[in-house]
Amino acid sequence: MVKEYIVIAFTENQIGVLNRITALYLRRKINIESLKVSESSIKGISMFVISAFTTQEIIEKLVRQLRNIVEVIQVEYYSDDELITQEIALYKISSKIVRESGMVDMIIRSWNARIIEMNPSFVVVEKTGTREEIENLRTELETRKVLLEFTRSGSVVLHRESMENTLNQL
Amino acid sequence: MANKPKIKGAEALLLSLIAEGTDTIFGYPGGQVIPIYDHLYHFTDRINHILTRHEQGAVHAAQGYARATGKVGVCLVTSGPGATNLVTGIADAMLDSTPLVCITGQVPCSLLGTDAFQEADTISMTMPISKWNYQVTQASEIPSAIARAFYIARSGRPGPVVIDISKNAQVEEFDFSYKPCIYLRSYKPHPELDLTLIDQAVQMINAADKPLLLVGQGVKLANAESKLLEFAEAAGVPMASTLMGISAVPNNHPLFVGNLGMHGNLAANEMTQRSDLIIAVGMRFSDRVTGDVKNYAPNAKIIHIDVDAAELNKNIKVDLPIHADAADALEAMKRGISYKDRSKWMAVAAENNKKEYEDVVLPSTDPQGEYISMYDVISTLAEVEKGNAVIVTDVGQNQMFSARYSKFNQTRSFITSGGLGTMGFGLPAAMGAKLGVPDREVVAIMGDGGFQMTMQELGTIMQNHIGLKMIVLNNTYLGMVRQWQQLFFGKRYSFTQLENPDFPSIAAAYGIANRRVERLSDLKAAIQELADAPGAYFLEVDVLPEENVFPMVPAGASLSDTICKE
Repeated sequence: MVKEYIVIAFTENQIGVLNRITALYLRRKINIESLKVSESSIKGISMFVISAFTTQEIIEKLVRQLRNIVEVIQVEYYSDDELITQEIALYKISSKIVRESGMVDMIIRSWNARIIEMNPSFVVVEKTGTREEIENLRTELETRKVLLEFTRSGSVVLHRESMENTLNQL
Repeated sequence: MANKPKIKGAEALLLSLIAEGTDTIFGYPGGQVIPIYDHLYHFTDRINHILTRHEQGAVHAAQGYARATGKVGVCLVTSGPGATNLVTGIADAMLDSTPLVCITGQVPCSLLGTDAFQEADTISMTMPISKWNYQVTQASEIPSAIARAFYIARSGRPGPVVIDISKNAQVEEFDFSYKPCIYLRSYKPHPELDLTLIDQAVQMINAADKPLLLVGQGVKLANAESKLLEFAEAAGVPMASTLMGISAVPNNHPLFVGNLGMHGNLAANEMTQRSDLIIAVGMRFSDRVTGDVKNYAPNAKIIHIDVDAAELNKNIKVDLPIHADAADALEAMKRGISYKDRSKWMAVAAENNKKEYEDVVLPSTDPQGEYISMYDVISTLAEVEKGNAVIVTDVGQNQMFSARYSKFNQTRSFITSGGLGTMGFGLPAAMGAKLGVPDREVVAIMGDGGFQMTMQELGTIMQNHIGLKMIVLNNTYLGMVRQWQQLFFGKRYSFTQLENPDFPSIAAAYGIANRRVERLSDLKAAIQELADAPGAYFLEVDVLPEENVFPMVPAGASLSDTICKE
């Protein structure tokens, strides 16, 4: 069954590692839906969060091949319900919402977002949440024809159990 | 403490290679490696540099050298086209787990990314086909990059490493010191043996009535040949070999039942299908070994031992995957094993060998004694060389006949492009093998197609007086493709026929002793002449144009559906 799998990899923070990792997805013709790379809680070790749709059989084989990359320290895969996942999104909204009564209030209170910039032509709103929550606000704004631009991050994740325990032994 | 004088990156590179035990480099100069070649000029007493005629020849020669010796093969080429010409060999070494360190020149780091003359993005191009690669842009990085390169190339599952060195790093000066690499925190090449899995394996083997050991190249790479034989003899378990495993077990070993796969022996394939327990060691269940995976070894439980965890459960679901070095696992399994007489099971081998002899081998030789079969050539060579030669093949029918009918007494004696199936591999690889093991007889067996892909290396053989024996099986066809066209494409021989030059004249032009045989009656004397020749010798054998390799498991078919004749 094809579903979303999130691969979390800890690697040496070195040049080329990103290409090595994505090359293995490319080889099996798996499209990467989202990708986030940043330094982990340990200095010098990068954390990759890669989400892609595939089957369990393929993701298992892929993860074993990812482990073979010399700079890769640890790799596991998860289905999204095993992880605490949040994304951040920015919405550039037409400034006409300011003139519509209750609109700003709706965005901020009901959607738990905040305004980070406001000028005569547009308002920028920031929201963190699950991908679904972020998409719902997007749909809402699109329906009201006020969304000018939209961008969102890849997933920021934490496992419910600790993932970095084994890394601390390094 | 006296200050050591600073040295240039190029010299540091050569000193680093020597520190890793390199005595031979296969290479080709060019603009971005001139500083390295300039220092090589002063190192000829310590490094034997072999100038090939093409960079592809250099990398295949390094592969042949590595496969024959077990050491890391080293090649050195320039940037751009020099590096791109290595690509086939690097991919080949990756699939066949051959330890290589490939050094490529690169434009000065100030010009990287500018489309400078002879700039190619070597790192990106070789990334998916190398075990590791690294770009050096400062001289001070050279010792540690070379140390890591050798450590990674030779440890765990070996493979090719590419080190791309920008020209400025070759000429910069720095304080050189060398420390070999023995540890990288992100890389664990030697898995810890899980003894509970070994116990389970031993129980399964002791209980099995029809066990079969599948021997892959991993046994050679782990230097586990004698441990394998001790284990097999202690258990009384027959052994079959993959193409890459050939020569790990001597052909005349009483427990050896032959080769597996598409053009393997009936006995090995039939026993796979009848076996109740497969013990696969250092092999990867390639599609050429398994045929249709759904009907592979239908009666067997499978134990798979491999040093590369990514191979476990990759192609075939197995019952007991063991992530281990072959030598560690075989030694540990021997302790608990008990001997079982399996003569009834071994009789299956004898019965199939008899059938194969009658259906395939016997009809191969022309009863009139006129036309020459590829079988005649390989079996005569095996007889003359008494199983002591290193056989290096090209790809295609010549390769399969060599695999089927060569005989081996010692390991690392069969060198072939197994995974990638690279035509043109044979001649340069054989050249490298001969330089690696100069005291052994090395014979390259090629087809007329593959020979012409890299035949310029005859120049390397001439210039370096390499005593290589060469046999071209000339059937005027790209024989293996022609065989498929005949059997599966209605005999439409689309672009597989070759109009060939006079091969012996080409050898003669390079000053290489040569001969052509066209009649079976002349064959043995010609092969004897080849074996007796003190230096390089080239033999063209004109073989039956439309001979096929049998038995054959058609692509995608089950091992049970082997065909023995047209």
